[in-house]
Amino acid sequence: MTAARVLEEKLASLYRAGGRIVGGVYLGKGQEAFSVALGLQLSKGRDIFAGLIRDQAGKLAFGEPMLDATRTYLGSALGPMRGRDGNIHRGRPKEGLPAMISHLGSMVSVVAGMLMSRRLQGRLGDAVGASAIGDGGTSTGAFHEGLNLAAVEKLPLIIAVANNQYAYSTPNNRQFACANLVDRAKGYGVEGYEVDGKDLLACLQVFQHAISRARAGHGPQMVVGSLLRLGGHGEHDDASYIPDTIKHSEHGRDCLQLAEECALERGWATVTELAALRESSQKEVDRALAQTSREPSPDPYKESWRALATSALVDEEK
Amino acid sequence: MPAIPILMPQLGESIAEATIVRVLIEPGQDVDEGQEIFEVETNKAVMTVTAPCKGKVGELTAQVNVSYPVGSNLGALEVSSQMAKDMGVDPIKSAPKPQSSSNHHEDGEPANLHFKISDADTIQERLPTVEPVVGGLPVPAGATGAHYISPRMRARMNELGLNASDLSAVAGTGAGGRVTVEDFEQFLRNLDAHRMTNASPMRIAVADSMRRSWSRPLATVGSPVVLDPLLAHRKKANPKPGPALYVIRALALALSEDTAVAGRLVGNRIVHPRAIDIGFAVEVADGVLVPTLREVEKKPLATLVEVYNKLVEQARSRRLPNEASRPGIATVTNFGTFGIVWATPIPLPEQNLVLGLGAGRKAPVWSEEVKTFIPVTEAELTLSFDHRILDGGGAGRLLARVAQLLQTPEKL
Amino acid sequence: MSLTYLEAIREAQYEALRRDPRVFIYGQDIGEFGGAFKATKRLSAEFPGRVLDSPISEDAMVGMAIGAAVEGSRPIVEMQFADFSSVGFNQIVNQAATLYWRTNVPCPIVIRLPSGGTPGSGPFHSQSMESIYAHYPGLVILTPATVEDAYHLLLDAVELEDPVIFCEHKFLYYHLKADALPTSTLPIGKARIARPGRHATVVAYSAMVHESIRAAEELQQDGYQIEVVDMRSVKPIDTGTILASVARTGRLLCVGESFPWGGVTAEVISRVVADGFHLLDAPPQRLNSKDTPIPYHPNLWRAHRPTAASIVAELRKLLKF
Repeated sequence: MTAARVLEEKLASLYRAGGRIVGGVYLGKGQEAFSVALGLQLSKGRDIFAGLIRDQAGKLAFGEPMLDATRTYLGSALGPMRGRDGNIHRGRPKEGLPAMISHLGSMVSVVAGMLMSRRLQGRLGDAVGASAIGDGGTSTGAFHEGLNLAAVEKLPLIIAVANNQYAYSTPNNRQFACANLVDRAKGYGVEGYEVDGKDLLACLQVFQHAISRARAGHGPQMVVGSLLRLGGHGEHDDASYIPDTIKHSEHGRDCLQLAEECALERGWATVTELAALRESSQKEVDRALAQTSREPSPDPYKESWRALATSALVDEEK
Repeated sequence: MPAIPILMPQLGESIAEATIVRVLIEPGQDVDEGQEIFEVETNKAVMTVTAPCKGKVGELTAQVNVSYPVGSNLGALEVSSQMAKDMGVDPIKSAPKPQSSSNHHEDGEPANLHFKISDADTIQERLPTVEPVVGGLPVPAGATGAHYISPRMRARMNELGLNASDLSAVAGTGAGGRVTVEDFEQFLRNLDAHRMTNASPMRIAVADSMRRSWSRPLATVGSPVVLDPLLAHRKKANPKPGPALYVIRALALALSEDTAVAGRLVGNRIVHPRAIDIGFAVEVADGVLVPTLREVEKKPLATLVEVYNKLVEQARSRRLPNEASRPGIATVTNFGTFGIVWATPIPLPEQNLVLGLGAGRKAPVWSEEVKTFIPVTEAELTLSFDHRILDGGGAGRLLARVAQLLQTPEKL
Repeated sequence: MSLTYLEAIREAQYEALRRDPRVFIYGQDIGEFGGAFKATKRLSAEFPGRVLDSPISEDAMVGMAIGAAVEGSRPIVEMQFADFSSVGFNQIVNQAATLYWRTNVPCPIVIRLPSGGTPGSGPFHSQSMESIYAHYPGLVILTPATVEDAYHLLLDAVELEDPVIFCEHKFLYYHLKADALPTSTLPIGKARIARPGRHATVVAYSAMVHESIRAAEELQQDGYQIEVVDMRSVKPIDTGTILASVARTGRLLCVGESFPWGGVTAEVISRVVADGFHLLDAPPQRLNSKDTPIPYHPNLWRAHRPTAASIVAELRKLLKF
């Protein structure tokens, strides 16, 4: 959580300084607790985690190297997307990290397919696949189709809905008409949970439960975390449409600060330890950025410019 | 009693045919509308073919275990005239044999029962002619004969080193009389039947030069010139200038008064000559060479004789120096040496003017002084020119000026 | 042995399932029912658990196949009609087609599209989608015209590491028959001279190959020898074979059943003009369906798509140029 926050703050400041970041910056500030609670309880090599744009925390917790993030953001040719796709779309599909596309909802069925394939091959074991989505994403046909399919196939899929109240600028009341998003779970025939998305402990508990239910063969699990995005849709957006009353309410509190307070209260960490954690995260981020800065950018002359894996079928470039 | 056809119905989306499984009614039996007559099987399901209306089953031509396309005639149903009319179906004239659909796919556009069509055969006849979907081929405007040359023709001609003018003998069979590649290849094959010899390099050079020249609108004017003063002057001269040299010198002097008439038109501009260099045609083996005399307006006639004679000799032996091979701004040709009185020579491609001198002959000229005809030696002077640059009037004035200058040869 | 085009597709899927345990088939009504056209007849019984009925969710069906391919499966997705693949369009062109390029992970899926018109099928059960998918990089578009190709190209498609849009023509399902299947055929990406000739070239694919051959047979009466090139795969496109044919004939007509704007026929002509301008003795022409939705009534439908008659008319104009 701390590392994600430090990394994203650094990326945001680089973005504002201009020049070094390729493309936009979309932050998960305020959503780290919900994201990390999921990522932490999945295991890389066994499970699947299809994070979206605000899942930096979850991805780090799942085991994605920090260099993947800095390399894609800073446009290094050595990143997993090699300059062909950007920052938040990064992924390593063969390592359980599907690379999202911009079309929301469309990763749900992909994760379902990954699970389906493993089951057909008899190697599903107790693996689960998680697909992150936001309140806006649940309005897409792809989300509906994907979740319905996963439910029909009874796949061990975790749908983590981060309801951050705004899809870009559109509030919940213009997005869906049900009283609560979790009500939808019943319609799909899946088990649903609601959680305070800024409460790390609560999130850990609910995901632990949902994941174990999925592993035990109870089909898809839908977890809705209620939280607030503590910033704009991206760093280009000042989120002026979010009323101050919400920003300053209990609901607008920072999940990281809450988690730190909780750790202090319960004696799990001291102020010094928290400061040390922040400092070590800072160093890790600096190291990653320093290394990335020394790496080459993609070279259009060395790029293969072929979209097919079968080279024999590629039209020869004239 | 009229008979209407029992047709294989459209049994579902994209079902094109069905196989007869059982016949459920004997011929001669009365049936009500909707009563089942055949049991059929499609790839999707077993279904039935029912009577389209009340009637008496006639001959059932369809056979069990045979597959029929949708719209095929499976048999006849005898109905009242009124009923036949109400159904909007053409009665059967003579019972047609149904076509089995096995082993053929031509018949793959079956009719649809819902559309009151009698049987597959008459449908084909009744169909309006299908208009092609795309419009007419673009024929280049005003294309006739060999004018339009397709990319392939162009490539083929380049390959063989041919020009559009080489195709003048080919009768095109394409749109607007255009010569197609097939016409062209046929033309080449036909040529094989003739005796053919290789054209000399000189012939090819002349041909190329004339072909390029002919791309312009050329015109010719002519006017007689009295040669007696010239001939008298020539008799006394030593060395003797050739008659053409007098004309060359006269032309140079005339042009020096206005060089624009010897200009060339390039785009919308007249390109004026830089120097008054005049060429003259010399017949050589299998062609013509045109050596050039430089800056003729600056050189009196007497000084030109020697170099002129030398150039004639060099041309005939095909040893012209480079300096003399560069084209001038106009050419003089003395076609009179062949006994020709009048001609329309073609100027060189890079020149606007060619001045011709015809054969001299005795002619009576009326003299106002002595009120009688007196004999003079006269020849036709012709001027061929690019009509884009010069008109008849200008050409006539130039000719008149040359003729005038030739009347005082001592001044040349 | 006699085999229809549809049976060849079924046999190819049987063979693929038998040969490769990674293969499974996913689609609507394809299980016990055997598919709307019976292309998977009895396969679910013969390969239990590998021929699965899907919900009516074209987007999720394709998304699922993509995920499965990432994990090492070789899914075949049956669209009930090519027309419905538009619902899965996003997954096909944005996910499947980009996956290898973006992540270096191949996406070996085959999406079967029962394509093209049959009488009385109307605007939403008759479409030909090859042109629209061919527009996107990262997809292979196969358009078999023969029973042999229906079989071998489908088997080749399953073996390919790339996503394949397999356009099988419904009009050929029952009407096209072969006595036997050859053991091998041309590879993906190679066109075939379906009929040799020297006066004009018709480039076609799928059902239009047969319309073109019928047109060629009619013109044979008048002494014209029309060469018909069966593209087999519209992407990759075998420009070499097409150019070689145009080199023989000098005249080109390209026939496709899909809509006229842009598309496969336009691509063929653009390539021939670019690379073979010097081969053309007449302006190259193309013939497509009309630029309207596909009509329901057979009378309208016949006039909407290219037929042997309209191909003959077009060829006559081309031959007269």
